[in-house]
Amino acid sequence: MKQKSDVQQGTLALMVLKTLEVLGPLHGYGLARRIEQISGDLLSVNQGTLYPVLLRLEQEGAVASDWGASENNRRARFYRLTRAGRRQLQAELDGWQQTSEIIARFLTAKAERLS
Amino acid sequence: MKAVHRFFVRLRNFAAHRRVDRRLQEEIEQHLALQTEENLRAGMTPAEAWRQAILKFGSVQSVREECHSEESLPLVEGVVQDLRYALRILRKSPSFTVVAIVTLAMGIGANATVFSVVDAILLRPLPYSQPQRLVEAESSSGRGTFASNLSYPDFFDWRAQNHSFSHLVSYHDTSYTLTGSARPVHVAAQIVSWDLLPMLGINPILGRGFTAAEEKRGTRVALLSHALWVAQFAADPGILGRTLQLSGDTFTVIGVMPASFRFPITAPKTDLWTTLAVDDTPAGDGVTNRGSHFLNAMGRLKPGVTVAQADQDMKAIATRLARQYPDTNTKHDSARVESELDAVLGDTRTLLVVILCAVGLVLLIACGNIANLLLARVSDRRREIAMRSAVGATRSRIVRQLLLESLVLSCGGGLAGCALAFFSTPVVLRLIGDSVPRAADAGVNLQVLAFGLAVTLVAGILFGLIPAIQASKTDLVSTLKTGSLTDISGRDRLRSAVIVGQVALGIVLSAGAGLLISTFVRLAHEDLGFRADHLLTFRFETPDNRYSKTRAPFYQEYFERLRAIPGVESAAGTMILPMASDDADVSFQNPEHPLPEGQLPSADISLISPGYFRAMQVPILRGRDFSEADTRDSLPVMIINHAFAEKYFPGEDPVGRQLKPGAGDGRPGGPPLRTIIAITGDIRHSMTQRQDRPAYFLPAAQLPTWCCLVSVVRTSVDPHALEPAARRLVASMDKDIPVTDMATMPELMSVQLSQPRFAMVLLGAFAGLALLLTVVGLYGVMMYSVARRRREIGLRLALGARHTLVVRMVLIEASRLLAAGIALGLTASLLFSSVMKTMLYGTAEHDPMVLAAVCAAVACTGLLAAWLPALRAASIEPMQALRTD
Repeated sequence: MKQKSDVQQGTLALMVLKTLEVLGPLHGYGLARRIEQISGDLLSVNQGTLYPVLLRLEQEGAVASDWGASENNRRARFYRLTRAGRRQLQAELDGWQQTSEIIARFLTAKAERLS
Repeated sequence: MKAVHRFFVRLRNFAAHRRVDRRLQEEIEQHLALQTEENLRAGMTPAEAWRQAILKFGSVQSVREECHSEESLPLVEGVVQDLRYALRILRKSPSFTVVAIVTLAMGIGANATVFSVVDAILLRPLPYSQPQRLVEAESSSGRGTFASNLSYPDFFDWRAQNHSFSHLVSYHDTSYTLTGSARPVHVAAQIVSWDLLPMLGINPILGRGFTAAEEKRGTRVALLSHALWVAQFAADPGILGRTLQLSGDTFTVIGVMPASFRFPITAPKTDLWTTLAVDDTPAGDGVTNRGSHFLNAMGRLKPGVTVAQADQDMKAIATRLARQYPDTNTKHDSARVESELDAVLGDTRTLLVVILCAVGLVLLIACGNIANLLLARVSDRRREIAMRSAVGATRSRIVRQLLLESLVLSCGGGLAGCALAFFSTPVVLRLIGDSVPRAADAGVNLQVLAFGLAVTLVAGILFGLIPAIQASKTDLVSTLKTGSLTDISGRDRLRSAVIVGQVALGIVLSAGAGLLISTFVRLAHEDLGFRADHLLTFRFETPDNRYSKTRAPFYQEYFERLRAIPGVESAAGTMILPMASDDADVSFQNPEHPLPEGQLPSADISLISPGYFRAMQVPILRGRDFSEADTRDSLPVMIINHAFAEKYFPGEDPVGRQLKPGAGDGRPGGPPLRTIIAITGDIRHSMTQRQDRPAYFLPAAQLPTWCCLVSVVRTSVDPHALEPAARRLVASMDKDIPVTDMATMPELMSVQLSQPRFAMVLLGAFAGLALLLTVVGLYGVMMYSVARRRREIGLRLALGARHTLVVRMVLIEASRLLAAGIALGLTASLLFSSVMKTMLYGTAEHDPMVLAAVCAAVACTGLLAAWLPALRAASIEPMQALRTD
């Protein structure tokens, strides 16, 4: 069985923002499921940890939430990306991109090329 | 940016008590329901589907807690919670709370009151532009520390030759009689250099300041004070250009100063300012006599120049002048420049700092008391604290909780103390009177309240921290298990140390107060050399322009008529009234041992009318008093006092000898040689003078150009009853002369004593308060110690110890504490009392009597305070004490 990896809060926030950007407004359960699916069930996240992250993002103004009706016609709280959230996502994506490029270079570095 | 946004959202949540909790709960339920449904679809049994959903979600409680701590301000919430708890705890023990708050209110109130005075006198900048650049320059002698005023020629040289000042301004006070309105008015005036206003950086509200040309001889221009403008001219905006009659001279009004303007700051009031042109009279030598020192000088430093540089600059000039004019300047061969605020404050700074320290010590003692009370409570609350830590309170949480309790107490005390300061500040100000410059501006303002708040917080932490840390060290297991009092000794040592410290501080304060009281008693009962009761004094002027020829006959007739008023036993005049801060010092030449002019000795001088010594009841030791026969045409005479005779004629008989005082009588040929005709007893010149001063007296009738005589009236009735008659008499002789400064001699003396009295009363009050607090603290500690040792004492009594033995045991414990405190306090007093040197007169700063009395007083009251607990200990019922824990 493949080892599931732990997720830091900041990373989780990035995933939440990206998911909301791609899929539009979602409720908490929907978000949790999508993140699981996208990560290919490799992430071990208690679904509950999503909620403090959502609350924090909401306080920062990156997401907004409203009550709406879920698929099974129950009341559910839907989260959507705000404009500030979009900007934040973009900024963080750029940062990630840069970090991963740098790391990738190091990982592929060969001894003869550095000498 | 994000953090700020979050903080505000949290703050809003906190303030609005908004809780996301219910919403969260609903969301979580939703979440679990959806997951369960999905699990069901995947084929699980309902129970399994629910279990898996919950497993997948994780701990609901921890999510809720995490969200809670995200949404609000947990620290603040915790503090609010602790605060509520603290209030509840304090309400549960009202007597402790009241004692603590009253103690603190006294401590903080006293501090706020003293600070309001210190703030007004020491801390507030002078009310001029860039006041820190203003300095006072004085002439001084290079050998001694003696400082003196400047003469005009010296001042002009200083002004022209210095490189340090953008402005250097001379000033001295004078007074005029303003006539022309319904009643003649006495006005206090200052004669200044033209650039006073540019130096101070202040503009008139009406008109203009002086110009340099207005220092020219013959110019008579005046700037009015706002008060005079309003009182005498009904705030008439057309006052500019109008003329005033001041003591018979005509002045033109050129401006009106703002209501807030005060110069000099030390004068109680100044009504108008004019230029030094008025001193430049054709007849007199005021502006040309280098030996006539009566000017103050104030300067504004040029940018970049320091006080020390200016000091060096002026010293160099003074040395140069002394070489250039040895006759007049040998005794003025140096100079001193100090910051204006220092010059204004003088010795007052020491006084205030001593009082501020004293009041700080009082607060420290109060804090000690409360710390001891709290330590005792901590012992009683060990179980509660152990219980709290057992259910998970961290050590810092417990310290915080207990500290908050003390802060609540100190805030209560601080509020009450600031309220107290509102009432006590005016009382203290009345006590100070005019004795300290600028004190009248004091009041409870924002600074004072801020100071009160700071003191409150510091006090709260001071007396709260040690008990709180002690409490948090509570050993959880043993306390909960046994519930008995173990490990107490360390805490008791702490309580004892606090008491010893308090006793020591009490000794220091009482010793200071004792020294001041002994000083005051000495001052008040010092032999004055004259009889002060039934003596009325008042002043009026005889302006030169009308009286230069007729002064002598005028005074002769006036005093004759004054003596004729019923109730007047005798009456006379003197130029220098004792106890009134009058001063004049004139040099004299002894023809038998001639000296160059610059090295002549000088002594206090006064001009008097015949009968002055009788009116004052000063004994004439040898020779005769002046009489009406001593006139301008008779032999020039003088009288010297005992101190003068001792100093300048040791072992000789001065009567009949001749001296030449440098006091010109307006006739050509300079001052005449005078024959000494009598020796009188010494008169105390001021209440705070440290030794008898040599003085000589000249008959006013022989120097009619000198103005003016203060009236001294010895009465057989209440002196105040003669006031109207005296005023009527002066008005009947000249309706344009206002009578001023009507006061009895005891009133004048009281004014002079106001600074020592104020120091004594304040320090005495603080020492009393300190002693009271210390005694109460000692009582509390002993009482607690007895209560704690109930079992032990019960056991002793049960085993047959006599009651007196128990009493003695408690008293010995108290005496040990007292003795340690007294020893410590005595050492500290001996080390620090030299600070008070300038405040003491006739009392050594290590006066053994005072120190012994203080120690005895502290020891007695301390033992008295221990007596009750001792009796309580002796009355313990052995059986009961042993049965109960």
